[in-house]
Amino acid sequence: MASENNGASSARGKTFAGGFISSRGGLWARGSFDTRLFALLAVTVVFGLLMLYSASYPDAYSEGYEPSYYFKNQLVGVLVGTFLMLLVSKVNHKMFMELGALCGSAVSVILLVAVLFVGSGDNNSSIKRWISIGGIRFQPSDVAKLALILTLAYILHRYHHLVVSKKPLKGAVPDAVNGFFNKPVLNDSAKAVCGCAAVILLYVGLVLVGSHLSGAIIMMGIAVCMLYVGEVRLTWFGVGIIGVCLVGVIAFSAGLIKPYMIQRLVSFVGDNEDPLGADWQTNQALYAIGSGGFFGRGLGQSIQKYNYVPEPQNDMIFSIIVEELGFIGGFAVILLFALIIWRGTVIGINCPSRYGALVAFGITFKLAMQVFLNIGVATDFIPNTGITLPFFSYGRTALIVNLVEMGILLSISRSSRIKKV
Amino acid sequence: MSVNKDDMKRTSLSAKRGVVLLCVFAFLLLIALVGRLGYLTIIKGEEYRRIAEEQQYSDSTIASSRGTVYDSNMNVLAQTASVWLVYINPSKITDDNREDVVRGLVDILGADEDKLRQDIVSKGSYRYLKIKSEVEYNEKTAIMAYAREKKITNVIFNDPDTKRYYPGGTLCSTVIGFTGDDGYGLYGLEYFYDDKLTGVDGKVFTLQDGLSYELESGNKIMYDPVNGENFVLTLDNEIQTILRNACITALQDNAAENVYGVVMNTKTGAVLGMCNVPDYDPNDPFTISDQKTLDMIAEITDEEEKNKVISDARFSQWKNKAVADFYYPGSVYKVFLVAGALEEGVINENTSYTCHGTITVGDRHVKDYNPIGHGVETPLTLLVNSCNTFSVYVGQRMGISLFYKYFDAFGFTEKTGIDLPGEGTPVAGVTYHSPEVSFTNSNLVSVSFGQSNQVTPMQVATAVSAIGNDGKLMKPFIVEKTVDDSGNTISETEPLVKRQVVSETTASTVASYMEEVVKRGTGSNAYVSGYHVAGKTGTSEKTGVEEKKYIASFAGFAPCDDPEVTVVIVIDAPGGARYSGGDIAAPVAGEVFEKVLPYLGIEPSYTDEELAKLSSPAPDLVGLSLTAAKAELGRTKHTYRIVGDGDEIIAQSPEAGRTTPKNGVIVLYTQENLPEETAVVPNFEGLTVAQANQLAVSRGFNIKISGSAFSTSSVVAYKQEYREGTELEMGSVITVYFKTSGISD
Repeated sequence: MASENNGASSARGKTFAGGFISSRGGLWARGSFDTRLFALLAVTVVFGLLMLYSASYPDAYSEGYEPSYYFKNQLVGVLVGTFLMLLVSKVNHKMFMELGALCGSAVSVILLVAVLFVGSGDNNSSIKRWISIGGIRFQPSDVAKLALILTLAYILHRYHHLVVSKKPLKGAVPDAVNGFFNKPVLNDSAKAVCGCAAVILLYVGLVLVGSHLSGAIIMMGIAVCMLYVGEVRLTWFGVGIIGVCLVGVIAFSAGLIKPYMIQRLVSFVGDNEDPLGADWQTNQALYAIGSGGFFGRGLGQSIQKYNYVPEPQNDMIFSIIVEELGFIGGFAVILLFALIIWRGTVIGINCPSRYGALVAFGITFKLAMQVFLNIGVATDFIPNTGITLPFFSYGRTALIVNLVEMGILLSISRSSRIKKV
Repeated sequence: MSVNKDDMKRTSLSAKRGVVLLCVFAFLLLIALVGRLGYLTIIKGEEYRRIAEEQQYSDSTIASSRGTVYDSNMNVLAQTASVWLVYINPSKITDDNREDVVRGLVDILGADEDKLRQDIVSKGSYRYLKIKSEVEYNEKTAIMAYAREKKITNVIFNDPDTKRYYPGGTLCSTVIGFTGDDGYGLYGLEYFYDDKLTGVDGKVFTLQDGLSYELESGNKIMYDPVNGENFVLTLDNEIQTILRNACITALQDNAAENVYGVVMNTKTGAVLGMCNVPDYDPNDPFTISDQKTLDMIAEITDEEEKNKVISDARFSQWKNKAVADFYYPGSVYKVFLVAGALEEGVINENTSYTCHGTITVGDRHVKDYNPIGHGVETPLTLLVNSCNTFSVYVGQRMGISLFYKYFDAFGFTEKTGIDLPGEGTPVAGVTYHSPEVSFTNSNLVSVSFGQSNQVTPMQVATAVSAIGNDGKLMKPFIVEKTVDDSGNTISETEPLVKRQVVSETTASTVASYMEEVVKRGTGSNAYVSGYHVAGKTGTSEKTGVEEKKYIASFAGFAPCDDPEVTVVIVIDAPGGARYSGGDIAAPVAGEVFEKVLPYLGIEPSYTDEELAKLSSPAPDLVGLSLTAAKAELGRTKHTYRIVGDGDEIIAQSPEAGRTTPKNGVIVLYTQENLPEETAVVPNFEGLTVAQANQLAVSRGFNIKISGSAFSTSSVVAYKQEYREGTELEMGSVITVYFKTSGISD
């Protein structure tokens, strides 16, 4: 089985992890480092750190911290995250298959359940999203998203033959259904799809129970894209949509969807109804963006960051970037993300391993969704969802997780047959 | 396993097309975001930036200074001065500093302690609590020094504020008016020219954060304040003082309800003085100044009625009645009647009429105040005698339309247009009769002697000025010019001729009649030696009042040949036994003429008659020998008194050039360092001119005769410059005022 691995790698693999590792080509990835992606990431992270400093110091000051408080915290995240990214980028991505799916899911489920009991909320709200372990405060959903990607990728890869199978499903119920339609409506792909659906429902359900709508939306988005790329038949998506609708109705009647979620949607539909309520944040962000104009006020010159845009270092950081750097700056941010997304797609398409491709797509979709949802909110394009902007918004766990994901992408990139320099 | 087979392929995915589709979809979304971003920054940018700036900049006002009002000699009549507003920040009050704060505010600023303590508790979370406005510099300095000493400068603050001062107090109150607490003019000139006086406040836009704290790094946008224009009036403090004092004396002497006075430049219409008493102090406009009104208010027990009366009294004292109130001009109107009739040729200078004391028009019998009649009269004697019957006759000859033509032409049917607020608006059928509304042959009778058409003092002043101004009716004005803070003229009022009412010839004829009225007719109490006063008196009966009340008035100008000053005096409802215009209004006008004309530098020109009768200048005797001096005095017909034993005159009293009466005394000093010879001033009241002169000379004084010039038994002294019993240097000239009593007009 290990015949295709080169000798050195195989030997090292055996040394560290025996046959399990050697069957996938060793612990360390082969192939060259993706300098292009890394360069894009480096620019984005440095840019993000700079803008975070500019956006956060008024808030830090008014909360009684030293002005560079958020910047310093974020810098720690960048350093740790970069280290982990570079480390992960060296690891053979196939090492994550079972490990990522099982351990990731186990850890995620434990954390998502734990947060319901020991979590704490944003700004004294009753919604519990944060958990503290050993002084490090983070959102379990950040970790869970990555775990979901790894798990789905593993299932869709491991049971690909079932996903695409047209063999009629055996059993009393499937037989009856197939007999009713007089053709094999239910085939073996149902097994794989049900498996995926179970995983998705577990994750999304737990996040929804934790009242984290935006997390659930992103997870659903990632899941749908990954199933699509994983060649699940379109028929199943129809079934899925019906299923989600049913679940939604049930969840609402069971009280799992909280009034504030509805409120956010209402505030988006009804324009400027309540300036100091749900719209306040959005309006202030719009004023910031509008004041930026084409060239912006200049780096550090935002006025809206002085207690107008609430917590300017968080969700609405994009508005401060535009206020300071104008349309040009905002366009640059979008362009950087577009390039990273493009790179991620290229890496995925050219990845010889289905697992690698699925993980790459999952990570790329996740990034794309976050970027779109964040900037869409800041520009009042879509309802306020509370999603942060990767690499820019304040938040160490999210930043580290994002960088680790990029590390995985870099690792997958090594096996892709594309130009790296 | 399949894994190894995958490694051989370039791509593992059979759904490559789907992936590209997803990627394209993602890119479309990102492009949509870029579009949205462009829309927000480029198209909506200005709008959002403006809204943002509205919340980001706090605007604080830099008060512009309200314009100063000056009289014609640049004396300040109204001025804005700096004061301060003291306030506290109750949220900074702690248990430790509360007592210090309260004590300071109570002891230094006189704050109400109980109320303050309550407010500190009830408004404890506020950041602003006003303590006292209009705090003067000393008080403000004291409280801030106290705050520093007690280390409570984080609690007690002050802001600059302004207050309007009227240095003249009551002097020009009804003309200048006053401002309210907000600094805007409420009455008078302050109200009329509020826009120009107010100026434009400046603004400072300060960048603030979302919690309204100033951003230190933020730039400030400043708009400088534009101060209000300064007003220079035609009003002259000196003339105003003369006028108002005369009016107040008239008010008291006659126990009248009101006295209105207007002094005007006859040729330009510039108002030199204007008052109505009782008035008020614009520094404290809410206090009622009239003692009679106060006594009346004190007697009212019903609280509601009391408040109403107080409120009415305030509005009444604030009103500029000289332009606002209507009255019957009485015989003063005969001037305009005669002018119109002469102009139209209805009568001429030689038209004669025999007055029998009554005249019958239709079924109306009009009696003259002189029951036996004035006998044969001409238009001149119509005015001199103020004959009602002749007036009615002239009125009938003119008819309604001609009469109305001149009533209208002299400006009685319109506002004069003076630049003061609240001018009374004439209304046909209400204040006067017009052919279209209510003019009948019957009321043509009474309007002919001024009894049923109403006019304002200001209208009379402008109309009578037209007689003195060659028939040209002027638009009266009170603002000479406006100037900026550097003294540059912004705007200047040019005298405006409204129209030629009567010809120059007619005007000068009527003016000469009016001079005769003062010289020998009902206006004789307005006579001023050397100044050729022309005028007309009037007495009218008030209508619509319970008791029988009168209005006595005088309107005239001087000097007659080249008039400079017009004076109108109206005494409303005199309470004494005497109420005729000639009796009580003419002397007031005479006093005003006598003081104002010399003040304006107008040289007296004495007629020979006046010179012979009254006075001659004292010769210059200093340096002459005693003998030479005596010879000179014999020539000038002066008596003398010698003090000292010397042979040469080293001083004289009165000094050379001063007017002395015929046979007046000159005291000659012949020795240095001798004490001045003094004597006690006697009482001249009730004496005729001859008697007074005699008494003065016998005591070693000289008298200067003021007022009526006739040395007849009906002209008697009623006032003297120095009170009886005053010790004065011998030879001093004492002004004694004479008037004729018992004049009917």
